[in-house]
Amino acid sequence: MSNSEQDAAVAPRTPERPAAPPGASCHALRVRLAAGPPADGPDGPAARFAALAAALPAATGSAAVLPGTARLWTERVPCRADAPAAERWRARELARPLPAHQDAPVRAVLLHYADGVTDLIVVARRAALDTAALYAFTAYLLGEATDVALTAATPPAAEPAEYAPGAQPDWGLGRPHGPQAPETRLLPLSADHPETDAGSWATALGVVLARYEGVGRPEFAALVADAGASAERIAPVPVAADGGRTLGTVDKELRTALAAGETRPGPTTAAAPGSAAVVGLVFADRDPAAGLPGAVLAEYRPFQLPPFPVTVTVTRDAAGERVLRCDHSPRTLSADIADQLLRHVCQVHRTLAEAPDTLVADVRPWDAEEADRLAAHRRTAPLPPFAPRRIDTAVAAVAAARPDAVAVCFEDTRLTYGELDRRADRLAHALRALGVAGKDRVGVCLERSAELIVALLAVLKAGATYVPMDPAHPEDRLAYTTSDAGLTTVLTDRADFPGGGTIRVLSPAELEERAPERCDGPPPSETGADDPAYVIYTSGSTGRPKGCVIPHVNVLSLMAATTDDFALGEDDTWTLFHSSAFDFSVWEIWGCLLTGGRLVVVPYWVSRSPEDFHRLLREERVSVLSQTPSAFAHLVEVERDGADPAPVRLVVFGGEGLDPRMLLPWFDRHPETECRVVNMYGITETTVHVTAQTVTRAEALTGSKSVGHALPGWWVRVADPEGRPLPAGVAGEIHVGGAGVAAHYLNKPELTEQRFLTDPRTGERLYRSGDKGRLLPDGRLEHLGRLDSQVKLRGFRIELDEIRSVLLDDPQVTAAAVVLNRADPDDAATAQLDAYVVMDGDDTASVRQRATRFLPEYMVPSTVTALDRMPLTTNGKLDTRRLPGPAPAPRPATAPRPAAATTTAPQDAASGGDTFEEVLLDVWREVLGVPVGPDDNFFDLGGNSLLAMRVGAALRRRGGHTVAMRDLYLRPTIRQLAAHRAG
Amino acid sequence: MRLQGKTVVVTGAARGVGRACALAFSREGADLALLDVCGDVDGVPYPLGTVSQLDHTARLCREQGAAVLTAAADIRDGAALRAAVDRTLDRFGAIDVLVNNAGIVAPSGRTTHEITEDEWQVMIDVNLSGAWRMISLVGPHMVARRSGSIVNVASTAGLVGYRHFAGYTASKHGLIGLTKATALDYAPLKVRVNALCPGSIRDDSGAEGRMLTEIARSLKLPVGEHEQTFVQSQPMNALIEPEDVAGAALWLASDESRQVTGSVLTVDGGFTTR
Repeated sequence: MSNSEQDAAVAPRTPERPAAPPGASCHALRVRLAAGPPADGPDGPAARFAALAAALPAATGSAAVLPGTARLWTERVPCRADAPAAERWRARELARPLPAHQDAPVRAVLLHYADGVTDLIVVARRAALDTAALYAFTAYLLGEATDVALTAATPPAAEPAEYAPGAQPDWGLGRPHGPQAPETRLLPLSADHPETDAGSWATALGVVLARYEGVGRPEFAALVADAGASAERIAPVPVAADGGRTLGTVDKELRTALAAGETRPGPTTAAAPGSAAVVGLVFADRDPAAGLPGAVLAEYRPFQLPPFPVTVTVTRDAAGERVLRCDHSPRTLSADIADQLLRHVCQVHRTLAEAPDTLVADVRPWDAEEADRLAAHRRTAPLPPFAPRRIDTAVAAVAAARPDAVAVCFEDTRLTYGELDRRADRLAHALRALGVAGKDRVGVCLERSAELIVALLAVLKAGATYVPMDPAHPEDRLAYTTSDAGLTTVLTDRADFPGGGTIRVLSPAELEERAPERCDGPPPSETGADDPAYVIYTSGSTGRPKGCVIPHVNVLSLMAATTDDFALGEDDTWTLFHSSAFDFSVWEIWGCLLTGGRLVVVPYWVSRSPEDFHRLLREERVSVLSQTPSAFAHLVEVERDGADPAPVRLVVFGGEGLDPRMLLPWFDRHPETECRVVNMYGITETTVHVTAQTVTRAEALTGSKSVGHALPGWWVRVADPEGRPLPAGVAGEIHVGGAGVAAHYLNKPELTEQRFLTDPRTGERLYRSGDKGRLLPDGRLEHLGRLDSQVKLRGFRIELDEIRSVLLDDPQVTAAAVVLNRADPDDAATAQLDAYVVMDGDDTASVRQRATRFLPEYMVPSTVTALDRMPLTTNGKLDTRRLPGPAPAPRPATAPRPAAATTTAPQDAASGGDTFEEVLLDVWREVLGVPVGPDDNFFDLGGNSLLAMRVGAALRRRGGHTVAMRDLYLRPTIRQLAAHRAG
Repeated sequence: MRLQGKTVVVTGAARGVGRACALAFSREGADLALLDVCGDVDGVPYPLGTVSQLDHTARLCREQGAAVLTAAADIRDGAALRAAVDRTLDRFGAIDVLVNNAGIVAPSGRTTHEITEDEWQVMIDVNLSGAWRMISLVGPHMVARRSGSIVNVASTAGLVGYRHFAGYTASKHGLIGLTKATALDYAPLKVRVNALCPGSIRDDSGAEGRMLTEIARSLKLPVGEHEQTFVQSQPMNALIEPEDVAGAALWLASDESRQVTGSVLTVDGGFTTR
């Protein structure tokens, strides 16, 4: 017999949901007995327990008979009651559940310590003995009561009906692969905290969860473990914490509902898996010694193992002081978030007691101290002092100090700072001569070249504002920008620049011809540091591009915030890689020239050839490299193919989200001590960058989404749709304030008003980014993509970034993109997710197969297409519009290939072409629109529930043949269906 | 606390390696059920563990804060073992670890064909069948919980032969076979089974072991001379201490070895490496 046969014979069947461990449905009570007659004497607990077990109700007047398996155990502990060993022993007895295989409802243990102290510990199944019964039973053992009923007050049993140990709240910051062992956080309640009951705590928890989850009616459950409670069971809590109601109203309704025993269809009754309550409240706020005669002290544990993945308990510590407790595992919540949850529940509870008229929407879940801490977190440091002036003035100062240092290199051209400054001065005069006045806007539509830099600087020196355009942009985009920005002058080499006779279009060479031979500095102008330096057009996900107006001082602030940290200086060589129409170029050009570095302008064709660009990095000894992650992935590839490492000392990522896992091969060749890698989150509207996160191997291994702290002088916060700040862990919209916020959108006052807000509390201006993010407890920001990256597919809300992340986890995959496509725009059933990957090899089926292990069925891409390279926009970001059509659905590598003839097989006249199998082949082909073989899996071919219904309809049309939906899911190939039908 | 809240059953716990294991486990937060024959066995020519020795082991463990059950049970007596296991489950609700440590080293000291039927029987019955009996009692419980670790204390005699110890050698080879087959049976059920092979263990420690003495006596050698021979045959030139074996048992018992099953771990100073 082979080992595999043996294994099959005894392999366990996995239950659909793990049963709750016994400890989750047991509670425990410890009582320290007063000195007196020996505890195991004739009327001590041992004797009284024995009487119950021996069924002598007549002798005791008791109604209870214990099953034979119930025991009282007497232990002699050979150390003093206060010894650490004794403490460990007690702790284990209190935590030891009643095993599932026994019918005993209760176990008692007497611990006699060496110093004459005795503890009685009683553990009971809550379903058999609720809190009241446990206390009555214990009191009986202590000699008080004469009657004890071994029954729970209320069926059904207080067993967690749905046990979901792996469930993780979105806001928990749990570590997916962290330990599952329970952890406990405590928050002692201050002496002046209001007196309370279960209902008020349920209200507080409900209001906090409503805020965390952005819903009015959050799902959670409660267990009221109170001797006075009428119904002791786990029940979903019907809280309605919509923002417009007052705390007092919510609380009143909740109490009424709880008192009436009303539960709405909720977590514990929902049939769908995964909907069990993740958060639960346990109320056990009673003096643990109350009702126990002769107890010196008592300790009550409302559960031995937490009954919910996140369990918030209102209880008392051993000293009788009220305490809030959170039981969780590192997978469900980080310790910081557990502490935060307790603080917020406590604060809301206090507000409920002290100001019940507060609207739910207005409740602040943090106290003043935490508010200060949050404010300190988001405001990393003040902006270092600097002289606010124009960019061109600052560059002129560098030129005056080091006129012979090389400023700009382009192919064979070398411009020193002195030459750059003089040429720009002359062109500035030429612009003035053309009629360009201070604060006018001048279009610059030039390829990356030395002339581009001179032209941009010249526009600034003329006191004007430059409006960069990419020569590669389509004509209508150029025309739109020209007209929207009200341009009258455009510098370009593009002969066909649109606009006709209404605007003045000239090349740098033509401008040069109009320039004076000599000049003494730039033309005078009244333009100041707070006036606009440039207007860059950004295309949002909706609407037409809009021009962001950025003042000079913003750029100087950006350099003041970063120069020291990045040690930027004269010895650095930067690249200008990006189009001047993309604001990453602002960082590259002015970052370099304001710090005295050498700027290597990368010719367009080199920027599109990773091999040539890599060679340029080595030849020019570039030290500061700014890249989008998509473009950088190509460079990493080049080095993986054997190129010698580029001598870069600083890599700055910007422009799109970074998945740091792609950096592992880079770090192998460029240790972090030799090359610092910084991921910067930023937006055109906030002047290139907002935050900075130094990325190391640690971040790369964990796939960290952190973009770090705000730059000095910038600040970030995460807010809900109503603009209220959200606590750490909770995802919302990123708001940015501080030194980089743009002046406004050009000519778009309404849009400006929508996106640029004034914080009513501080009066500061801020920008609503439309990006999704969350703050970590240490104040760092996680960037989670666009708020609108969420798509809906057949009713499911899907985060495309989440799918992409799973694909990137595959070791074969180096880059990934996911898009939602509709083959027929008017037909929702044709919507499908298509994935594109850059990968080692071409086994896309295995990539998809792996994804099915980590993603729910509705999130698995229908197709996976391998590409040599991801298409990039002119800004170096992923260009989804240039992705090719999806490859045909991958077939599982192990499945037999469909017979070669399936797509072209002539209908067999003898059989009439209408055997069940053939009809199915035909219908699937028709519905799925792809070639179909008898062993193809319907769902692998792009099938889904809607298309399955279509198959059913088509079969019915042809008469007779039908396939039940369930059969299709169980037997997703035609051969299996046919065999099932035949069998 | 590497075994916090776990329950461990140790057989042969009155002294020697069994006592050292019990103490090591109690230090790591385990509660214990300690079994020993607590009396002499017909045909075994030396005194076995006593009630006093077992109680002493239990006391040492309780001082560490462990809850301890003790049971006098002959490893050949299925009914007595069942009672002890049932009581353990009543008290602690679960058994997480089983250490099959009970064993005898003599009657030995003869050429194979001189071993009597009774001598052969008692050796196999205690050293091999005893472990199987415990597994058959505790195994179903562990399998039901899809969790558990079984540590069989074999010997270097489970790996190599020793002159004049055919019965002992056969029983320990058999125990390793039992380990490997059971490991395969239980692997899909998440119960692990491993064997430990200690070399010669020093007698004169607080653990009150007496194995080396009995081997010397079987071979009709002065203990000192025999000990010297053993020390020289071990590459590390030292006898094994009971704590050394307990350390290995602790690792096999704990979740740190969660992917280790069917393995045979030597604690023999390199003896079987030659």
